[in-house]
Amino acid sequence: MVVIMMVLAITMTGCGGKKEVDTSHLGNTNGDNQTGDTDASAKNAAPITYTVFIGAPDQQLTKNNKIMALIEEHFGVTFEFEYLVGDLDQKTGVMIASGEYPDIIVSNNTQDFINAGAYRPLEEYMSKDKTPHLYNHFEPYMNKIKADDGHIYVLPNYGRYYNDYIITDYVGPAFWIQKEVLKEFNYPEVKTLDAYFDLIEAYMDKYPEIDGQPTIGFEALSFDWRSFCLKNPPAHLSGYPNDGGVVVDPETHIAEVFCNTDKAKPYYKKLNEAYNKGIIKADTFIQNYDEYLARLSTGAVLGMFDQGWQFAAARDSLIAQGKIERTWAPLAITYDESITPYYLDRGALNIDRGFGISNQCKDPERFIQLVDALLTEDWQKILSWGIEGEDYMVDEKGMFYRTEEQRLNQEDTAWKLANKGGQFFEQLPKLEGTFSDGNAFSPGSQPYEYRSALKEIDIELLDAYGVDYISELLGRAPENRKDYPAWQIPLGDGTDAAVAEQQLHETQLRYIPQLILGSPDKFDSGWEDYLDKFKSIDIEAYESLINEGIQERLKEW
Amino acid sequence: MGSVVEDQVKKKHVRKKHHRITWKQIKKQKEFMLISIPFLVYIIIFSYLPLWGWLMAFQNYRPGKALTEQVWVGLKQFRLLFLDERFLRVLRNTLAMSTINLILGFTTAIILALLLNEIKHRLFKRSVQTISYLPHFLSWVIAAGIVSMVLGSQGIVNVVLMELNIIKEPVLWLSEGKYFWGIVGISTVWKELGWNTIIYLAAMSAINPALYEAAEVDGAGRFKKMWHITLPGIRPTIVILLILSIGRILEAGLEVQYLLGRGMTMDWAETIDLFALNYGIKIGNYSLATAAGIFKSLVSVILIFGANNMAKRLGQERLI
Repeated sequence: MVVIMMVLAITMTGCGGKKEVDTSHLGNTNGDNQTGDTDASAKNAAPITYTVFIGAPDQQLTKNNKIMALIEEHFGVTFEFEYLVGDLDQKTGVMIASGEYPDIIVSNNTQDFINAGAYRPLEEYMSKDKTPHLYNHFEPYMNKIKADDGHIYVLPNYGRYYNDYIITDYVGPAFWIQKEVLKEFNYPEVKTLDAYFDLIEAYMDKYPEIDGQPTIGFEALSFDWRSFCLKNPPAHLSGYPNDGGVVVDPETHIAEVFCNTDKAKPYYKKLNEAYNKGIIKADTFIQNYDEYLARLSTGAVLGMFDQGWQFAAARDSLIAQGKIERTWAPLAITYDESITPYYLDRGALNIDRGFGISNQCKDPERFIQLVDALLTEDWQKILSWGIEGEDYMVDEKGMFYRTEEQRLNQEDTAWKLANKGGQFFEQLPKLEGTFSDGNAFSPGSQPYEYRSALKEIDIELLDAYGVDYISELLGRAPENRKDYPAWQIPLGDGTDAAVAEQQLHETQLRYIPQLILGSPDKFDSGWEDYLDKFKSIDIEAYESLINEGIQERLKEW
Repeated sequence: MGSVVEDQVKKKHVRKKHHRITWKQIKKQKEFMLISIPFLVYIIIFSYLPLWGWLMAFQNYRPGKALTEQVWVGLKQFRLLFLDERFLRVLRNTLAMSTINLILGFTTAIILALLLNEIKHRLFKRSVQTISYLPHFLSWVIAAGIVSMVLGSQGIVNVVLMELNIIKEPVLWLSEGKYFWGIVGISTVWKELGWNTIIYLAAMSAINPALYEAAEVDGAGRFKKMWHITLPGIRPTIVILLILSIGRILEAGLEVQYLLGRGMTMDWAETIDLFALNYGIKIGNYSLATAAGIFKSLVSVILIFGANNMAKRLGQERLI
């Protein structure tokens, strides 16, 4: 009897234990920024659940996730998330073939869904009166977010900045190198491909083993669609930004494929040299993504070309193991010093990435209203920083900061699943940049926070190179070309260009590893043979479609 | 000596005469027919009705529009399929891997069944059987993960071979196209061996033990008994399974090749199914994938009837 009472008592305190946070100013009114009468729909009390498909692998948020509970409380909206398992192209194909869609879809294959008629046009739900925040958010970019047929299908998730913004951490493409290597040789300037590999070689000679594992100098992931690690470097090394399979001349705006030109040869020749010196291990070309991540997580890999988000899991694992010095810093290298590197780009509006509403959703208007309501500063602070007092503190000047414990929570995956918005927040349109009170949108960009959250070796590194943020190691980001980035241009269903792209991809994956794994004196003749393989591919079709896309963007944008 | 036994065994396989189907017969077997009707309906609904979707192969199919609104292109997709220089290679891969799997599968399953049949110690026999058919229940995703670990540069195969000084440096098995067929064959055998022996063991247990005793009297040793009694005894089973397998020869499959194939080995690993996936579904060209499917079905039907006919001529059990 006593036990039952105790259990009951504990449950009661657990239930009623939600922190008393003053959220009365949220949701039902429009915050401090806007006065309007769009709260009518937002106040709709009838609960509704949306099914959402997220085209990326992730873990389910916990049932009583703090953020989701708040949203349910204020808007009566809950979500059922389905995350991607396996290959996105396949899942997309299957979904389209079956014709059954959840209410809301997020996928990198937006164009496929648009072509299949899966998405519903959204502009009828958005207007200055009905959704003031959304309207204000996208108004400068209306032309960009419309699809070819003039409709808006997707709400872009990133790329719209307010006020200043600083890019602090870097998760884009770069040649990464272990921080320990830089430290060992006293933080040298590494600007060229040769210098990069020389550094790696020197470190490998000194330390053939790390923590009992043989040291691996360089990794080049060649798996499936993630093989841009193998295919993209020549473009960057020649001073071009990430345009996918082409390089685009900034003056003439003409795109051309680069994998079979002299831009690519020196890079693969260098890799061939590196392999024959033992810096690259042959099985880097046959690993799948999981094996790649596992290798990176051992801390024995000195360098790779990759995009930061792709190996974030390995980086997190190393941090959890306490091996911060084995994580990597990005370097912007080129073939020689005369070429200016172009790795860091200004965040372009991430069109075609974000929430789209399917034609099977029963109540699209309510979801749009929800997104609109969440696009206010107060909600953005909750979604990005958390609950004041619990996840961050405010100092006398009104600046946000975090305590050590709060920072540790942010690195804890399990805690994040229970207390942060996860992929839901990831895909929402955001008020990036700086809030009107001077705080940065993202804790990572808040200068004081960023600095305080840095570990010792990071501070040492930043000081040695005289920069404030990791991203500054890559130089300044130039203004984007109007039509940038070309990799977003859709290729259409089953078109000659799509076939050509698939063939280019296969040819590269098939022959480049062979070239690299061969002996050095056979490389040049092997390269000629390799170029022959491209003769049967309709590269013309691919290039002309991309060029058409570029011309359209130049006109419309 | 052996011939008496063989004759007896052969007598069991006299061809049945062709009966005329009479109403009286149907009424006599009406319970059987009633039981089979649900299955018949199931097959019609799920295997035959959807065939109307083959129309997709003659169009430039784009999902989202009704079938009647699509653009008809006649045989364009088939031309794309057959005239593509990759197609011959893909066909070769499919046939090669199927044939290897077939031969390896049959011989190993029969041999293991023969050997297991000889064992009298029931516990040992049962345990060997159980252990051998466990991998069948693994999905290929897991099995492929195991295989690629085993074949990795630090994997057990390389370690053993280096210890035995057969090779000096680890061999990257999964990177060489020419090893791929062998790897697929061996992995498939490892996975399906135990399962396949079950049928043969069951067939073997149906053989009349009197035949064995007669052979013993005639002075036959173990191997002679196997050759003259057991093998002929399970011949109908073997023939039927063989016909079925030949009919599925273009089904070399998708899973193994998809999971174990790497960029470097694609020339050897790509099967018709994988090709239809990469150039059909993945880039949104569903018509091409359908055309490949039609091709496979037609060839399979021809092969099944052909194999069945062969069996008829050789005086064996037939399927149809």
